[in-house]
Amino acid sequence: METLQTSSLTRFIYARPGTLDEAFQLLEDHGPQACLLAGGTDLIVQLRARKLTPRIVIDLKKIDSLRRDITETQSLLRIGALTLLSNIIDDPRVNRHFPVLAQAAATVGSVQIRNRATLPGNICNASPAADTVPALLVHQAIVNLSSRTAERAVPLKDFFVGPGKTVRRAGEIVSSIDLPVPEERVAASFARLTRRRGVDLASINVCCLVSAAGLIRFAFGAVGPRPILVEDGSGRLADPAMDAREKERLLLGLLEQTSPISDVRAGKEYRSAMLLVLSLRVLQEALDILRAQRRE
Amino acid sequence: MSAEWIGKSPRRVGGFERVTGAQQFLADIRLDGTLSVRLVHVDCGHAKIIEVDTSEAAKVPGVHRVLTAADLPQPVPRFGPTFQDRPVIAVDEAKFFGEPVAAVAAETDDAAQEAAAQVRLRYEELRGVYTIDDALDSGAPLVQDPSLRPKDPLRNTNTLEELKFGWGDVEKAHADVVVEDTYTFPMVTHFAIEPYAFMAAPDGDGIRVWSPIQHPFILQRIIADVLELPLAKVRIFAPDPGGGFGGKGYPKFEPLLAFLALKTGRPVRLVLTLEESFQAGRRMANRVRVRSGFLRNGSIVFHDIMADCMIGAYVDIAARVVEKASYTACGPYRVPNARILSRALLSHTTPSTAFRGFGVPQMSWAVESQLDEAARKLGIDRVEIRLRNLPRKGEVFIPGDLPCDGNWDEALRKAAAAVDWGSPLARGRGRGIALGLKISATYAASYVVLRLHYDGSATLMTGTSDMGQGARTVFSQIVAHEMGIPLSQVAVVMGDTAVVPYDTSTSASRSTVIMGTAVFRACQELKAQIRRLAADTLSASENEVVVDRGVIHGPKGDLTFLAFLRDFLGSTRGELIAVGQEVKKKTWKHPLAGTTVFYELSCTAAEVEVDTGTGMILIHTFATVGDVGKALNPQHVEMQDGGAAVMGLGHTLMEHLILDASGRIRNLGALDYRIPTIKDLPLQMHSLAIENEDGPGPYGSKGTGEGGLLATSPAVGSAVQEATGVKIRDLPLTPERIWQGLQDHVRGR
Amino acid sequence: MPARTVSVTMTVNGRVRTLEVQPHHTLLQCLREQLELTGTKECCSMGECGACTVIVDGRSVNSCLMLAAEADGCTVTTIEGLAQDGRLNALQESFLEAGAVQCGFCIPGMVMAAQDLLNHNPHPTVEQIKEGLAGNLCRCGGYARIIEAVHAASRGKME
Repeated sequence: METLQTSSLTRFIYARPGTLDEAFQLLEDHGPQACLLAGGTDLIVQLRARKLTPRIVIDLKKIDSLRRDITETQSLLRIGALTLLSNIIDDPRVNRHFPVLAQAAATVGSVQIRNRATLPGNICNASPAADTVPALLVHQAIVNLSSRTAERAVPLKDFFVGPGKTVRRAGEIVSSIDLPVPEERVAASFARLTRRRGVDLASINVCCLVSAAGLIRFAFGAVGPRPILVEDGSGRLADPAMDAREKERLLLGLLEQTSPISDVRAGKEYRSAMLLVLSLRVLQEALDILRAQRRE
Repeated sequence: MSAEWIGKSPRRVGGFERVTGAQQFLADIRLDGTLSVRLVHVDCGHAKIIEVDTSEAAKVPGVHRVLTAADLPQPVPRFGPTFQDRPVIAVDEAKFFGEPVAAVAAETDDAAQEAAAQVRLRYEELRGVYTIDDALDSGAPLVQDPSLRPKDPLRNTNTLEELKFGWGDVEKAHADVVVEDTYTFPMVTHFAIEPYAFMAAPDGDGIRVWSPIQHPFILQRIIADVLELPLAKVRIFAPDPGGGFGGKGYPKFEPLLAFLALKTGRPVRLVLTLEESFQAGRRMANRVRVRSGFLRNGSIVFHDIMADCMIGAYVDIAARVVEKASYTACGPYRVPNARILSRALLSHTTPSTAFRGFGVPQMSWAVESQLDEAARKLGIDRVEIRLRNLPRKGEVFIPGDLPCDGNWDEALRKAAAAVDWGSPLARGRGRGIALGLKISATYAASYVVLRLHYDGSATLMTGTSDMGQGARTVFSQIVAHEMGIPLSQVAVVMGDTAVVPYDTSTSASRSTVIMGTAVFRACQELKAQIRRLAADTLSASENEVVVDRGVIHGPKGDLTFLAFLRDFLGSTRGELIAVGQEVKKKTWKHPLAGTTVFYELSCTAAEVEVDTGTGMILIHTFATVGDVGKALNPQHVEMQDGGAAVMGLGHTLMEHLILDASGRIRNLGALDYRIPTIKDLPLQMHSLAIENEDGPGPYGSKGTGEGGLLATSPAVGSAVQEATGVKIRDLPLTPERIWQGLQDHVRGR
Repeated sequence: MPARTVSVTMTVNGRVRTLEVQPHHTLLQCLREQLELTGTKECCSMGECGACTVIVDGRSVNSCLMLAAEADGCTVTTIEGLAQDGRLNALQESFLEAGAVQCGFCIPGMVMAAQDLLNHNPHPTVEQIKEGLAGNLCRCGGYARIIEAVHAASRGKME
C-alpha cells in the first residue's frame, strides 16, 4: 500500500483534441496508456494515489461535438457528455421529470466538486457508491457510446462490470446519457448513509421509484461490486394495506442480490441492516410523494 | 477614541493579512536556491531495516543528496523535549508507520519525488506493538532499546513509566454504591489545515530553521543540542502556524532538515502532505478502568482509576501528558479517597504529542461517565450530583495543590440552563452534562521587550506563537490599554528567536496569563521609567509625578507621552525600552514540578436526538461554559471556546485512526478521516463564559482555549444514554456504534 | 520520460498571463509556484478540504483537482484578486468584523467559496450558506462566525 507522500502526480503527456476523430486517434495510438479527462475530480485523485499512471491524459473539454448541455429529444432528456453536476441540479427539466436525480447529484461532494465533475464522468468512474447511479438506474438511463467506427447504446443497468470497471471499450467515449421521460406518473426518493452530516461518501445509497401502476424499482449502491437494480411489478409493496412484516419479507427478497462488505467506512452487519431501514424509508417517501401528486 | 481596551473585541491583529492571502505561512516563504525534500519510509509499523540502496535515487537529475542514518554523526543523534530517544532518522529499525528511513534533497519537488520513489528499501516486517494489549503482552517485542534507560527497572517492558497519584485510602473507604467500568479513547490526529512544513539553511557558522512551531525556544534548544551549536548560533523562525492545537509544539523533522542543510550547504524545504501530517502526530489514546464509590446522597467517596495510555514509538511530551492528566483524573470534585495508577505504554505507532486538552478529554470521558452511572443508580439528577461534589472557591480538593480558584457551580448552572435542563424532553431525545478540569502551566519563564518609539507608537517583542487564538491582538490590547496608545499604533513582533526574548512555550492556555502578565509588567516598568525621567525633566520629585495612560500629570500641569518623548529624547532621538517577565521556577517537591497557575474549568451540556433506525445523532442544543476570569477579548474567547467544542464533537462523533494488522494507518488523509464540516454543527450552539475576575492574569483573567473540549464526550455520551438507554464506553460515537449499542440493548446484552 | 510543457494563457485576477506549465502540475501548484500567488493554500490535495478554492470562469472549484493545462482560456480569481487597490471587499470586511478568522489557513478558500456563493445567490439562507461552504474545512471550528460573516455581507448587499 502506498501512502501519499507527495501531492504531485507522475509525469504524462497532456493532449487537448478539438474533435472526436483526434481523440479516437490518440486513444488508438496509446491504448491502455491513455486516460480520459472530463471534470478531473476522480481522475486527479487517482493519479495522485498512483492508481493510474497513464502516459497520456486526453482532455475532452475542447472537443467540439461533445456537448455540455441538456437537450430534449422526442421523449427523452439527453445529457451531454460534459454536463456538470451543478447544471444537472439547476436544470428545470431535470427537476420536473427526474427530481431524484437532482437530489442525488446534490449529494456528490461539495459545490466545488460539482462545478467540475460531469455526470458521465461520475458514471464512468464506476464507484459502487456513486450517488447519481441509483437515481439513473431507476429511471432506466441509457449510456451512448461513440467510437471511431460505431455508436452503441447500453442500458445503464448493463454498463457496470465491477468497481472501477465498465463495458466501455478502450476506443470509446461516452457521448451522452439518455433519460426516457416516464410515460406514466412516477415518484422517486433517495437516501444515503454517511458517517457525518457533512460532505461524505455514501456507505450505502438507496433509490426507490414507484409508479401509479404499482411498479416498484429499487437501486442500491455500495452494497456490491456494482450498483444493483431490482424491480417488483406485483404491486404488493405499494399496497398500503400490506402488513409491515410481509413488506419487510418482500424487501429482503429484493435485497438478496446485494452483498455488502466491511470496509473502513462501515461494517457488513450495519450495512445490511441499513439497507432494509433505508429501503423502507425511501419506499414510504416515494409512495407519499406519489399520493401527494395525485391530489394536485 | 476609548482608552479602555480590555473586554473589547477589536479586529484581529493579522486579520487583514489572512483575508487577503498575504499572511505568510511557512509553505509560502521562498528562499533562493532552496532544495525540496521528500521522505521515504517503510510500508508497515515495525521493521528491521536491512538495506537502503540510494544509488538509483542519487542518479535522478536534480538530486543533491539522499540522506540516511549512515550519513549522520555516529551514533545517530537522538532528541526529544524530555527524553532524548528519537533518532534524527530511523536507525536499524523503523518504529512507526511514517518514520523516515531516507530523505531526498533535490532542485525541484518533482525530482525529489521521483528520486524518493527510486530509493530501494530492503526490510523485514517485524511483529509490532499496535494496541494497548500488545504493549502489555510480556511476549511482545520491545519498542525501545533498553540501553536508552539503563537504570529503569521497566526497561525490558513496553511500559515507559508507571505513575501513581492519590490520597486517602480507597480500600478502606465505605461506599453505599460502587460503579465500575472500562472506557476507551482512540487515537485521533490534529488535522490542522496547514500540514507540517519545515525549512533549514546554513547561516555562517550557525543555522537557521523555519518551523510553524508553537515553542520556538524548545526547538532552538533541541537543534543546538543535536548539532552541538551554541544557542546564540541557532536562529528559529516561527511563522504563525495555520492551526497548532499542540501538534506543532515539539520538533519532528527539523533536526533532519538541519543536517540536510549543513550537508548540502543550501536551504532545504520539506512540506508534508496531509497524509504524512497524520503520520507525524496524534493524541494519546487510552483505556481507563474506573471503580468509583458513592454515598447514597451522591457524595463521592472514592475513585480508583487505572489508566493504560498508548503513547507511541517515542516519548516526545507524552509522559508529561499522562502525568498531568492522571494528576487531575478525578476532575473538579471533592474526592476524599483517590488512587490513580497510570501506565505510559510505548507502541509502534505515531508518537503522540501535546493535543488540546493534554490528556484530560481522555480521562474525563471515563470519570464523568462514572458520575452519570452513579447518578442513574442512585436516582439523583446528574446536575445535582455534580453540585453536591463541587468544591467551593478556596477549598483544597487536590491535596498540596492550588485550591479551587473559581465559583465552579456557576459554570455548571449556566450550561444546564442553556440546554433547559429539567424541562420535559421530546421523545427520542436526551440531555447530558459534564465538567472538565485542566491544569495550566506549573512553571514558566516568559520575557517580553516593550519599546516606546519616538512618535509614541510601541513595539512588543514576544516569544508567544499566534496560531489563531489571537495572542497578538490580546497583547496589543494590554499595551494599548496600559499605555494609552491607540491599538493601531502597537506592533507585535513574534517568531524569531534572534529578536524576541525567551518564552517557555505557547501551550496549556498559559499565554494570556503568563505572557500577558509579562506584557503588563513591561508596561508598568515603562511607565516607571517615564515617571523617573519626567520627574527629572520637570524638575519635580517622583512623588509629584503621576503617569497615567498616555498622559503624565506633573505639579505644573499635564504632558502627553508624545510631548514628553520629544522633549526628553530631543533631536538625538532614541526610544525607551522596558523588559517584563513572569518566571515561576520548577519545584521538584511537587509531582508536576509546581502548582498550577490557574485551573481551566469548563462545563459542556448537550441535548441530542438519536435516529434509532440508523444510529445517527442530531445535536439540537450544545453549550460550553468556561470559567475564564476575565475575557480580555470576548470575541476571541468565544471563538476559541466554540472552536474547541467543534473539535470535541469531532473526537466524540467521528474521529479515529484505524490501523491494520501491520500497523499501517488505513484512513490517512481527508477522505476517510472525518472532522466536522459546517453542516455538522449543532442546531444551536452557545459558547458562554463566567467572568468573576478571579484569575491570576491581567485584569483577573484566566487562560482559555482548551476548556471547550475537555468534557464533550461524556456530555454527549450521557445524552445519548438518556435518549436511547444505551451506554457506550468506546469512542467515537459513530452512528454504527450507536446502532450496534441499540441492537445489543434490545437483545438484552 | 521528458514531458513537453503546455502553453497556457489565462486571465488571473484581471491580468492576462501566458506561461509554460508542466502537464502533470495542478492549477494550485501553478498559482503558488509559477505565479507566486501563495494566498491559495494546499492541504488535502484531493478536493476534500477546500483550502485551495479559487473561482474559475465564474464557479468555485478546488484548484488541486484541475491541471494547470486545463486553465488555458479560463478566467481565474484567487484571494489576491478580491481586494481592490488595497481595499477589502465587502465579504472580506465582513469576515474581519464578525471575527470569523482564527489561524487563517482555511480563510482564503473559505472566502472564495463564500464569494462564489454570493455571486450566484446574493441573499442566501443559513442553510444555503452551509451548503455553499460544505466543502471547506475549518479545524479551528470557526463555522458559526463564518456563517455570520457571510450572512452579514449578504445583508449589506441590499442597497
